[in-house]
Amino acid sequence: MIAIVRRVVLTLILLFASSLAVFAAIRLSGGDVTAARLPASATAADRQLFLQQVGLDQPILQQYWTYLGQMFRGNLGNSLTNNADIASLAVDKMRNSLILGAAALVLVFAIGIPLGLLAALKRNTWMDTGITSFSVAGMAIPNFWLALILIYIFAIQLQVLPAAGQGGWKYLVLPSVVLAAEGVALTVRMTRSAVLDTLGNDFVRTLRAAGLSNRRIYLKHVLRNSLLPIVSLAGLRVGQIVGYALVVEVIFGWPGVGQTLVNAVLRRDYPVVQFFSLVLVVVVTLGNLAASIGYTLVNPRLRK
Amino acid sequence: MTTEPHAVSTPAVSTGAVSTGAGESAGAPQDRTPLLEIEDLRVGVRGDNLEYDIVRGVSLSVFDNEILAVVGESGCGKSLTALAVLALHQSPPLHITGGSIRYRGTELTTASPEQMRAVRGAEISMIFQDPMSALDPMFTVGSLLTSAVRAHRRASKAEATADALEALADAGIEDPRRRFDEYPFQLSGGVSQRVMIALALVNDPSVIIADEPTTALDVTVQAQILERLRLLKQERKMGIMLITHNLGVVAAVADRTAVMYLGEVVETGSAEDVLAQPHHPYTNGLLGAVPRLNSKVTDLKPVMGRVPQPQEITAGCAFRDRCDRAVDLCAVERPLLTADHRTLVRCHNPVD
Repeated sequence: MIAIVRRVVLTLILLFASSLAVFAAIRLSGGDVTAARLPASATAADRQLFLQQVGLDQPILQQYWTYLGQMFRGNLGNSLTNNADIASLAVDKMRNSLILGAAALVLVFAIGIPLGLLAALKRNTWMDTGITSFSVAGMAIPNFWLALILIYIFAIQLQVLPAAGQGGWKYLVLPSVVLAAEGVALTVRMTRSAVLDTLGNDFVRTLRAAGLSNRRIYLKHVLRNSLLPIVSLAGLRVGQIVGYALVVEVIFGWPGVGQTLVNAVLRRDYPVVQFFSLVLVVVVTLGNLAASIGYTLVNPRLRK
Repeated sequence: MTTEPHAVSTPAVSTGAVSTGAGESAGAPQDRTPLLEIEDLRVGVRGDNLEYDIVRGVSLSVFDNEILAVVGESGCGKSLTALAVLALHQSPPLHITGGSIRYRGTELTTASPEQMRAVRGAEISMIFQDPMSALDPMFTVGSLLTSAVRAHRRASKAEATADALEALADAGIEDPRRRFDEYPFQLSGGVSQRVMIALALVNDPSVIIADEPTTALDVTVQAQILERLRLLKQERKMGIMLITHNLGVVAAVADRTAVMYLGEVVETGSAEDVLAQPHHPYTNGLLGAVPRLNSKVTDLKPVMGRVPQPQEITAGCAFRDRCDRAVDLCAVERPLLTADHRTLVRCHNPVD
């Protein structure tokens, strides 16, 4: 109970600190806020008037105070570029990103764990070498490059998958694969070494001596024991996917949080940047929370 | 106790009387066939540039209703012999390179993996040394036992549970119902070892191989576990192969014993005979190294020297470098197990 309270308090402090950091960073990064909204011909007086209208002429602490106050009242503000209500914008973007991120996360574990298990069980065979090399490649290849290569092969040459945009499941394939690539590679390696570790345990021999089949020993007992380190680091995988989503959504024209955030940063659209950055912080925090809960559920020592 | 009639030799010099598997059962009733018969078993390392045997021609028999204690120092090959029976040795690099293992007459060294799986736990089961690490930490005692039941026969959840509870009770566990739902980390060492015994019993095998089952436990628990094994032998007429380095354990529960040194049996016979009047210098030395309450510590005589590595073994007797009774022949000819005494002894110059 104390642990939960502690966790909640820490999360709130983290959110507060992040909001402050984002708020300051976007203002310190320079650039002209008015450029996105006003025509190039606008006079200095026009620009000053605009800043006044949106409250950017106030001292920075005053601005932050107003921002916090508005947020607590549920008012997320409006975009500086097109005056759109951020709250109404957010639902769609968040749903789109959630679909992409969830697909990538599923791929990470659905591909990474079985391949890692296979590599460990067939260690020092061509299959192990193949899977391990594949995972080294997955870690070494930058995802924007992988994205371009996959677009070239599947969208331009073979023309079986769309290069960008959003629609049916076909549009989800390339972005989610690119987004998952590094996570798959890391999960393969982690699973492989966790399984090899587990196989060295005495209890594996006990199960064998009791007449259990290899299939049952590997898929039930060894896998369950090997899941602990994978689950405990699942939070990192979520963070990784969130981070890479910024790049991947832009490349594939995926209308999600990442793309919106990148565009907003380029246009110095302060309110949009502030809100969507905070969304990412919340997702990563929740991902880590889910990983801790998962770890507790998987580990009988903590469950009891 | 009778000696084998076919094994004949003069003292000091063995005249080539070959002792085969049947000969190893000195001290056992001769009209019975063994449940488990290991004959001239060789287990060795085979790998790149590596080729040496660790178990070098071991013959042992386990009969029903008896405890055979296999005694020896660490590294003498006793555990490896036991593991090889159920094909549980680490392979590669270890391989069975010769000899035969028969269970009720069926050859195990050539059995398929699936045939071996069917033998494990249901015909021959095994108890390991360190119970705390030998149980899967992620599963309850009950789930472990019911999985073992279902590995060998179709059983409903209720049937498997009933079998598991019965096995726990048979293993001497006070409150089977409660332990059934506990995880290994909630158990003490003694209870863990009883759970291991339950796991070994749950499919009703006729042979149990217990590899140093009491080594990791404290002394009072050791005695209880040994007593449990003795009861199992008596009540279920099981054959138990008890591997130990502790002569006290041999004296407490063994019917017969085989002393191993460097991958071979150097002396075997009824536990009583071997302990009361050992004829092999090594057995004799081991007994001299056991502290007794009525003797001074200064009277302890350790077996001098160190155990050679398996790669270092040359012709002749493996024990000769540490032996104070070695004669010239010992460097030339490997002695055979011969029956000039109440025990079978592998020595050119045995202690009388």
